[in-house]
Formats: sequence, structure tokens, C-alpha cells
Amino acid sequence: MSKLTAADFAPHSNEHHCHALSRPSLSYWQDAWIRLKSNKRALASGCLIIGLLIFTLLGPLLWSVNSSEQDLDQLSTPPGSARSALIIPDYEPWAGPTTTVTELELAGSATTQSVRLQWTSLPEANGHRVYRNLYPVGEEKAYGIPMAEFFDNNTLYFEDRLDLSPGIYYYSVVALGNNRRPATEAATIRVDVLRATTVDEAIAQGLVEEGEEIAVGDTVNIALHPLGTDYLGRDMLARLMEGARVSLFIGIFAPLLYVLMGVVYGSIAGFMGGKVDQLMMRFADFVVALPFLLFMILFKISFGIGPGESGIFPMLVAMVVLLWPATARLVRGQIMQIREQGYVEASKLLGAKSSYLILRHMLPNTLGVVLVTLTFEIPRAIFTEAFLSFIGMGVAPPTPSWGSMSNEGIKTMLNTPHELIFPALLISITVLAFNLLGDGLRDALDARMRNTE
Amino acid sequence: MMWFIGKRLVQGLITVWFIATATFFAMHNVPGDPLLNDRATTAIIRANLEAKYGLDKPVTTQYFIYLNNIAHGDFGISFAQENREVNDIIREHFPVSAILGILAVVIAAVGGILWGSLTALYRNRLPDYIIMFLVILGISVPSFVIAALSQLGIVTINSLLGRTFLPVAGWGTISHMLVPALVLGLTTMAYLTRLMRSSMLEIVNSDFVRTAKSKGVPPARIFARHQLRNAVLPVITVLGPSIAAITTGGFVVEIVFAIPGLGRFFVEAVQQLDYTVIMGTTVFYGAFLVFMVILVDVIYGFIDPRVRMN
Amino acid sequence: MTTAATGLQHTPSLLEVEDLAVEFSTYGGIVRAVRGVSFAVERGKTMAIVGESGCGKSVTVQAMMGLTPMPPGRITSGSARLNGVEVLGRNIINGKDIRGSQIGMIFQDPMTSLNPTMTIGDQIAEPLQVHRGYSHKRAFAEAIELLSITKIPEAAKRARQYPFEFSGGMLQRAMIAMAIACKPSILIADEPTTALDVTIQAQILDLLQDLQKETGMAIILITHDLGVVARMADDVAVMYAGKVVEQGGVDDIFYRSAHPYTLGLKLAMPTNDPSKQHKLNPIEGSPPDLFAPPIGCGYCPRCPYSMKICDVKDPDILPVGKKHESRCWLQHPQAITVPDELYCGEKA
Repeated sequence: MSKLTAADFAPHSNEHHCHALSRPSLSYWQDAWIRLKSNKRALASGCLIIGLLIFTLLGPLLWSVNSSEQDLDQLSTPPGSARSALIIPDYEPWAGPTTTVTELELAGSATTQSVRLQWTSLPEANGHRVYRNLYPVGEEKAYGIPMAEFFDNNTLYFEDRLDLSPGIYYYSVVALGNNRRPATEAATIRVDVLRATTVDEAIAQGLVEEGEEIAVGDTVNIALHPLGTDYLGRDMLARLMEGARVSLFIGIFAPLLYVLMGVVYGSIAGFMGGKVDQLMMRFADFVVALPFLLFMILFKISFGIGPGESGIFPMLVAMVVLLWPATARLVRGQIMQIREQGYVEASKLLGAKSSYLILRHMLPNTLGVVLVTLTFEIPRAIFTEAFLSFIGMGVAPPTPSWGSMSNEGIKTMLNTPHELIFPALLISITVLAFNLLGDGLRDALDARMRNTE
Repeated sequence: MMWFIGKRLVQGLITVWFIATATFFAMHNVPGDPLLNDRATTAIIRANLEAKYGLDKPVTTQYFIYLNNIAHGDFGISFAQENREVNDIIREHFPVSAILGILAVVIAAVGGILWGSLTALYRNRLPDYIIMFLVILGISVPSFVIAALSQLGIVTINSLLGRTFLPVAGWGTISHMLVPALVLGLTTMAYLTRLMRSSMLEIVNSDFVRTAKSKGVPPARIFARHQLRNAVLPVITVLGPSIAAITTGGFVVEIVFAIPGLGRFFVEAVQQLDYTVIMGTTVFYGAFLVFMVILVDVIYGFIDPRVRMN
Repeated sequence: MTTAATGLQHTPSLLEVEDLAVEFSTYGGIVRAVRGVSFAVERGKTMAIVGESGCGKSVTVQAMMGLTPMPPGRITSGSARLNGVEVLGRNIINGKDIRGSQIGMIFQDPMTSLNPTMTIGDQIAEPLQVHRGYSHKRAFAEAIELLSITKIPEAAKRARQYPFEFSGGMLQRAMIAMAIACKPSILIADEPTTALDVTIQAQILDLLQDLQKETGMAIILITHDLGVVARMADDVAVMYAGKVVEQGGVDDIFYRSAHPYTLGLKLAMPTNDPSKQHKLNPIEGSPPDLFAPPIGCGYCPRCPYSMKICDVKDPDILPVGKKHESRCWLQHPQAITVPDELYCGEKA
């Protein structure tokens, strides 16, 4: 406490003033925006949603494949499958082995056009049966599907042209004993079937660029499906993009409509108060009590879907009719609360008209809550569409939606999971993004919730 | 309290009437003659139905016949299946759905309260992050995907073990119920966990918990006697709607796991346009849900003295 | 008061708090809510902590009681000794929680400070069950007794009711009954009357005084109401911006104010003396931002007597009389122009 001089103890001059409040004042929305910006999850979700919208709206411009066109060469093909096809001569019938046969063997190369098998008669055989399997024949002698039977010992060849896909097949020839019963003698061959196409087919399918010469023995690339195809050979990517349009259209547009309806209904009830409010809210209570999904289905039936209609519009109407009361209750509660606030009283004393009160005080102060509700209603609507489409009550085929695609995909889940995984993943990501964005918005806009997260 | 229950029951009856009316007019609006459907309406069924519902009479008469039948607990005869009453169908298939549903609600409620409390206690620490990540997944993945994936899981486990550890589908034993009930309860459990967490966090910072601390009450006792009961209240208020969500969610689970419940039957009826079954099931489910909501209200009243006393 | 205090100068006080500092990590940064607070509470006396909202008076006692959530709160330094035993940062002494048994506490808002789903009687019985191992039946009977001590009519019936069935004043009485259930040696009253009507306020204060007379407990009274201080306190600590700026006996504070802030508070107090043409004089400005506490004296920007040094250096606490201290450069021997209103001890 030493070395203090008299100058230190000189009083401050008269201009010495109190500090002003050091932090700048922010409006409600500025404050909310700052809060939202610092919420990384919400921000990432926002970007994801924008990405989804770009995928939906601009995607089809970049990937203009018809979503209902079938590629019969590629049914249920997972993404990343080999695409090369060998050019082979046109098909010519086969009349049996031309060379000496020593055992079960291939005649020529095995292609998707045909697999030609030839063999020598098995010991003690009166005839032969040919089987095809996708898996190796194990201890259990699981030969697979019987393809053909020959009840004489002269026909020692077989040509398979049934629905061949590129990949490994196991062909077995089993000896038939007396009474045409299979005997124990059998021979099995592993066949690697190559994708093949003829010159004419390649040109017809547009696999060859104009002016390019191709010949037998060349390879061409067959049509590209980046995310594979579904069980009807339709391009998954194109269908996902079109499905996104349906799912997001319902998912965003329906909540917009019924939240808006709820806001109008709720603010009328809240502002009028008294008997009108009582009556309006009783009615809302009844609508809330309707079992929602059952009535969605009921309304869908009741509207009926004509041929060629997608069923999107009835779904939209049903959602609006059934889902407005939640928002109406919320908004009404808010309006009732705001009506009692001092600043509204003050505004009334200053002679403000009802319309002014509603537009200047009540609606802006409910806007935050409404916005949060809207973000949480979007995933709900997307779920509803998916659910209805899943039980076959949603959009009518062939219009794709993520829900109906999942429904189709679930049937082939074990063999080709990509048909389920892609639409399910998109639904999940979209719902996740909207949920996280909603969380962020709620934290940013709702002062009461601020300290709990 | 009795007066409260009575009042809620009367309200419930009016609500059921509203549901029945809405169902009737929604179905009456169906374009075309429902009986002209090409699906197996034999002459006998047709004659029975016309007599029973007075289909040649005006709408209002039909409506009152319909209401009268419902008031007597008669939902009519199936359009698609000869000589089967809707009542029989409900009696046969509803218990299955109810068992599945109750199991799912219990799993969801107990799990939600447990996980929610746990995340609140471990707030912003590893267990909280892990559980909340799973919760977000549970909320975002559609129930049919969860159902399909869990079925895939069972198949994998069974093939790994080389024996049937859990049945993939069907109904009958406890082992049949376990996975479907879990799948059915999962989404709701995720919602309840979130709700319980935020409710618990609010309570943890509340004045009365601070008071309890200032009295020197040990943490375990504070949790059991002060936090839990108050934090559970908002969870109970949403149990009513949760039961509705689980009931309809049951449709998907019943389809995927091939469970012979009313939900699957309803979806089949919808696909076959079996009008009486659709109407009957809708009204029945509606009444059931209204009753459940009343039940939840009453339970709430017993837990929250503020409601009980008023 | 002064006579008794001199005699006990060297025996330890009932509660001695020294250099307590508490900070909170928040979104905006670290708030240094309490910055080195020291005070002592004597047996059977009432110690008032006065200051405006946000000055850290509640945080001081709540940190001492282990009631501030940590994190975000953190005690960075200090000690608190109850009967010579360190209690800061740990509430369990010899296997027993001192809270509820040795220190009771009541809060500002009785409406939210009681558990809404538990009967009043059960809540009052709880500390008895926890600290004394009473059965529920015995504790509940004692709770009814406590309710009648706090002058609640029909105590037996009231004990079975829930908080929502009580009025604010009644709830505060129930809170008091709960806090004194185990006959603590200190009762901390955190703004006990702020949320109540003026008439109820007087009743609650009377009740506290009566109970103090009967049980001989010390009271720490936290308030921003100088009227309450004048009526209740033996000793006073005036807090500003997380520090004690002046402390002393109640007469010292009111009649020999030694800090400009105390002077300001007195001027801002309404008076019912019609002879004085007294206008309410608010203290201009607002307290400093505790996100970035000032280097100098926290009150300097609002102080009418501030000097050059006040901006750059925080004053030490300086004695101005017997057990009367002030944290102000004007009390420094080198200070030149000292206003007349300010008491500077015998040295002036």
C-alpha cells in the first residue's frame, strides 16, 4: 500500500460518468439466430435438409433416367455390380455334343444367353436329371432346382436358357435308376456364367455409341444404375429421387397446411374467448380423440383412388383434416397467455384495434412456438406417409415413395438388402435432420427450455 | 375423485359417439355401392346386409340403425367372410394385439423412465451421450425398418447358434412375444426417454430439490422421494397418446412378424375393402383408446395430489 | 453488541467464512460471482448480508451449503469453519450431514421450494427421519408439533395437506418448521420475505425473532431490504459486485456508514418522515459485468466521490472502528477530500 501519491487520490473530474451497459441489446430473433448458429448439430441438420432438397429438385436434371423404365437384364441388382458384357454371336439352336465327352462338362462358354452341358452316362443310369443351384452341393446333397429329366440313356446333354444372371451356378446331373427314382450317382460342375449380349441387342439397348463398330468378342458396358435396381429392374436412384419428391412434398406441404389451419383456428378461439372458445375447443378435443392412423386409412378409402391417380392429394387432405388440433390448442394457449400480458393491456389502453393487437403482438409472439411445432410435425408427416405406404394404403403404385419402396424392399430383404436399405436410410436421415433442427430451434427460441439442454 | 371419473366417463361416451358418427359418414361417402364390390358378396350375405342395415332406406335411418347396433355392442357381419360376425373377429384377434400392446407399453414406460433418469443423472457424460444417440436413432428410424432389421437379427442369431434361439415369426409363447413387443415399444420408449430426461433435468434444478438438499437428505432418497415422482408426471400425461401410437404401430409389427392380431386383420380388411370390419374395428379401437386415456387420467390423478383434490 | 464481541475476540465465532470465491462457467464465459468474501457469525446473533440483486449474497451461502450445482459452479478459494471445523466443499462431517442438522435454511419462494407431491407433514418430518433416525410415525407427530410452534392453526390437519393447499405465508412458516426441525445452531434465511405480502412479512420476521429467543440459534439473513436489516440484524455485511464492501454492527452501518455504496443505499431508501423533503435518490448506473470484473473498485463508476486510484486498484478492507471495516480508498490515510457524510472513524 506504499508509493501512493497525492495525485492518485485526486477526485475524478465532473465528466466522470457511469458506464453504460456494456453488452449490446439484441432482438429476439437476433438472439435466437446467434444461439442456433452455435448449435453445430442443428446447423449440420439444416445443411442436410438443404442437401436433400437439392437431391430432390436438381437431382433429376443430372440423372435423367425414367424411374418406371424396367431394365430386364438387371433385376434386383445391388449397386457396384460388374457391368461388362461380352458380345457374342446371335443364338443358334444346339443339337447336342459335337465332340467326344468324357465327363460332365461345358460345351462352349457359359453366358447369360445359354449354358450348355454335356456328360457321359453315369454308372447304372437309366436316365438323368439335371439340377441347378446357387450354392455348392453339400453333404445334404442339396442339388437345387430340377431343370430337366431324361428317361433314356441317349440324351446326354442339356441347354439351360432359363433366367440366367451373371455369377456362379452349380449344375448337377443325377443318375435315375429303376422306376425313374434318383440314384446315388451324381456329378456336379461349377459354372461361372458371364454376362453376354449380341450385337443387335447392344445396339437396340443403346449400349453402343453411334458410329462405333463392335464385333463378337468385344465387351460393352451395360446400363449404369449407381444405386442398383429394384425387383422390377427399375433404377433405384431415379426412383429414390422421385420418391423423395412424394415423401418431401407430403412431409413439408401437409404440416404447412395444417399448422396454418391450427394457427388460424387457435388464434380465433383464443382471441374471442368465452363461449366461442369453449365450443371451438370442444370440437378440437373430439377431432384429437379420433384414432389418427385408422381415420387416415378410412379417409383414404372414402375418397377412393381412381385409376392413374397417385393418391397424394387424398392423403394431404386427410392429414389436414385430422392433424390441425394440436397446433390450434398450442396457439390458443399462447394467445390466451399473451392477452393477459401488460403490454397488450397497455396497447389496448392506447386505443389499438383488434387487428393491430393480433398482427403486432399476438402472432409475432407465437411465431417461435409455431415454427418449432412445424419442424417437429414434418418428421411426423414423413413417418405417416411411410407407414401408410408400407401397409399399402399410401401412394398408389407405380408412383414411388420412400415408404412404398421400403415396403417392396422388405420382401427381398434377405437376398438384396439394398432395396430396403436405401429408402429406409433416406427416411431415417430426413427425419433425423428435421428432429435435430427442431431441437435446435426450440432451444434457440424457447427461453424456458434454454437451460435444460 | 368419483365425480371426476364419472365426468370423464361421460365425456368419453360422447367422444365414442363422435368417433362412430365420423366413421359412419366417412364410410358412407365411399364412392359406389359397397355391395357391388366384386369380392365375394354372395346373395345370402347381400340379403342379410340389406335387411340388417336398411341399405335401401335414407341415410339418416341407416345412421340410426347403425348407432343402435353399436349401442348394443353389435358391429355387424363381415362382407368378405361368410357367416363371420365382426364381434367374433374382434373377440378372436384383439386379445393378441392387447397382450402385445400392453407388453410394449410396459417396456416403453419402464425403459423410458429408467433411461431418462439415467441420462439426466449422467448429464453431459458418456452414458448420456450413448443413450441419447440411441434415442435419436429410435425416433428417426421407422418402426417397420426396426422390425425388419430385428427379424434379420434373429435369423442371423439362429443360424449362428445352429438352432432356433428365438422364433422369427408367429405367435403362441413368451419367446414369440419378446422381440415384437420390444420393437413395438422402442419408438415410444425413445420419446419417453427424451421427455423423462428433460423433465428430470428441470426437477434436478428445481427449488424443492434444493430445499431437500438443504435438509441434508441423502442423494438416493432425494431421487426416490422428491425427483422421481415429480419427473414422472409429464411422462404419464403422454402415456394416453403413446398407447394410441403403440396400438397403430402394432399393425406393422403384426404384419412383419406374422402375428394374428386385430391390427393385421384390420390391414387385411382394408385391402379387401371389408367395410363392416373396417368400421367395426375403427370404432372399437377408438373406444378402446378413449377408455385408455381416461384410465391414464385417473392414474395421473392418484399420483398428482393437485388433480386428485380438485 | 460491541461489549460481548470484545470479550469473545479470540474464541472462534460459530461460523467463520474467509476469502470465499465462487465462479460459474456459462455460455458467455466465466462469471466471478463471489470474489473473496469473509464474515463471521456469532452464537445467537443475527447476521444480515445486504446487497442488490446479483451481488453474490445468495451464491455465498449456497456455495457454503453445497447447494450450487457444480459444474457449472466452482469454489476457487476460501474456507468456512463451523465451530472450528472446515465445512466448505464437504457437508458430511463425522458421517453426518451438517445441513438440516446444524444449519437449517429457508428460501425466497416458498411456493416452489416445497415438493408439490408430498404432504407438508412428511416434508417437515424428513430431516428428523434422516438425521435422528426417527420412525415415520414419530417424526410426523413431531412435525405437527413444529407446525404449531410456527403458529399454524389446526396443525394436525394441515400436516396432511399438500403445498398447493397452503397460502404463501403459511408455506414460509412450514419451511421454517422444516428448517428448525433438528434444532440447528444456524438458520440461513435467503430473502425469506421477498415473495410475501407486507403484512405477512412482519409476521414471518416476528416468528423468526421469537424462535431465535427460544432456541438461541444464530440467523444469517440475506436481504436487499434495509428495513428488514434494521429490524432484525445485530451485524451487517454489505455486499457489492461479489465483495463485502462494508461490515460492522447494525448501528455502525446505519449511523456511521463508512462506504459510499452504503450511503447510496440509505439515500435510496424511502422514509416515512414527513418533515424531511426527502426525494428517493436512485444510485445511477448498474453493477459491473462480472464476466470481466473491473481491476479497480467495482463501485467506482457509480461512486460520486471516486478518485483516480479507484479505477486502477482495488482497495483493501480497512478498519474504521471496532469490528467495523470498509473497502474504500477514502478510508486510506492519504485520501485528501473526504465527504462529510462518510464516517471515517476516529482518525479524521
